[in-house]
Amino acid sequence: MTRQRGITTSTRLLLAGLAAAVLAQRPASAAELSLVGQLPSLDVHGFISQGFLLTSANDYLAESSRGSFEFSEVGLNFTLPATDRLTLGVQIFSRKLGPLGDYRATFDWYYLDYHWKDWLGVRAGRVKLPFGLYNDVSDIDAARTAVLLPPSIYPAQNRDFLLAQTGVEAYGYTRLGRAGALDYRVYAGTIFLDLKPQPGSPFAVVDLKVPYVVGGRVQWLPIDGLRLGGSLQFLRLDTDLLASSTSGRVALRIPATLWVASAEYTVHDLVLAAEYSRWLVKNESDNPSLFPQSSTTSERAYVLATYRLNPWLQAGTYYSRLVPDVDRRTFPADIQHDFAFTLRFDINRYWLIKAEGHYMRGTAGLSSSLNGNRPLRALTPDWALFALKTTAYF
Amino acid sequence: MRPGVSILVALAAASVAADTPRSAYVVIVHPANRASRIDRQFLAEAFLRRATRWPDDTPIRPVDLGPDARARIRFSDEVLSRSVASVRSYWQQRIFSGQGLPPPELPDDESVVAYVLSHPGAIGYVGPGAALNGTKTVEVN
Repeated sequence: MTRQRGITTSTRLLLAGLAAAVLAQRPASAAELSLVGQLPSLDVHGFISQGFLLTSANDYLAESSRGSFEFSEVGLNFTLPATDRLTLGVQIFSRKLGPLGDYRATFDWYYLDYHWKDWLGVRAGRVKLPFGLYNDVSDIDAARTAVLLPPSIYPAQNRDFLLAQTGVEAYGYTRLGRAGALDYRVYAGTIFLDLKPQPGSPFAVVDLKVPYVVGGRVQWLPIDGLRLGGSLQFLRLDTDLLASSTSGRVALRIPATLWVASAEYTVHDLVLAAEYSRWLVKNESDNPSLFPQSSTTSERAYVLATYRLNPWLQAGTYYSRLVPDVDRRTFPADIQHDFAFTLRFDINRYWLIKAEGHYMRGTAGLSSSLNGNRPLRALTPDWALFALKTTAYF
Repeated sequence: MRPGVSILVALAAASVAADTPRSAYVVIVHPANRASRIDRQFLAEAFLRRATRWPDDTPIRPVDLGPDARARIRFSDEVLSRSVASVRSYWQQRIFSGQGLPPPELPDDESVVAYVLSHPGAIGYVGPGAALNGTKTVEVN
């Protein structure tokens, strides 16, 4: 059953038309639609991206070994500050990334935000998950230098799982005198997921739900530009599987605990960041002969630096490391090293182009199903990725 | 004083005057605002919308100049410790993750002064030569 809200084709066309109209009419700033009388104004922002992926070997995110343009994103958001304390917002988002996304527009986030005091506000609705430094902004190409955020902690293919939850969130910002300030968010809710066919999988997914996701993020801001923080998230995925070969049924509970320690320093045009994370995922099966119980801890980390050389050129680099199971570190299938270098060209304030090269060692970040169901150990261990992306935003 | 000495003294005075840093912006608030000094950290928090209320609970309404204005560039550098481009990136993150909107950007000093005069909780900055038209200047600690 599809539980994420879909939008009809005609609505999609309307949204595309609206986006084009707004872009055409107001290239110089966000559109602000004044309403009649004393009503507050509606703020409108949006972005459109088109990317290209090419790998020297292996298919990554899309059929990249032949070159793929299946790397598109469109977003349009509306924010209405209804009163000094109450804000309403909604973002409509559509994407295509290889087998993920189908250009179907969905509600990316929507909320009512009551900002009572600086130290306490509450949001209810579908709210982006604050996990690490960049999870809640991982869609926003214009807000970063890289085309792909370090994939060990921000895997693009996990966006549907990790980007947003539907529930409530409390947040705040409090000053600590000479010790700086604290920024914090805690949340509880659920994640609505689509059931998608898994070609080549020995199991068909019959039911899929997330009974809970709870967590929080605390960031300490001791001096200008420095963020030191930690994020913790607990969630459980409940699924019913049907074995393709025997028609046997398995009820699977997958509790997961994710945490990440983060540090970022921004000074003028320089950004330095590093994060270290571990994700503990268990498989609790009611039919171990068909689907064995397991417990896996993955290790994820990266270091990143970006620098704005002048108003139109930024350079960035990172090293990202993924070990999907800390108890197995056999090269190449159990590890992924990713060395990336990016150039970002800001053509003007509303249009940018990025070019990015990756040297990859290992195949742990690849998908077997995207590579003809070949085992990861059979894929090319040393490979390169070239990504090109252009984004218009307002 | 001998003419040569006078010239040297005048040159030295001119040199000192030239070296004295002169702020490239003046911070202004609504005339009803009681503040006469403002902490730089609080000012930064107000423009990044982390602090949203004055001590008397009036909503803070920050207002920016356009990104190319000299006063904006210096204000961003000195108060926010970030370049204007870096601040824009911060706001892109906030806007598209649904966490807030940036202060309005106005094209010139006159518009900022008019905005501050018409909004009781407003705070802005203008170039040093701007006509303040009754807005109140505040000193930044």
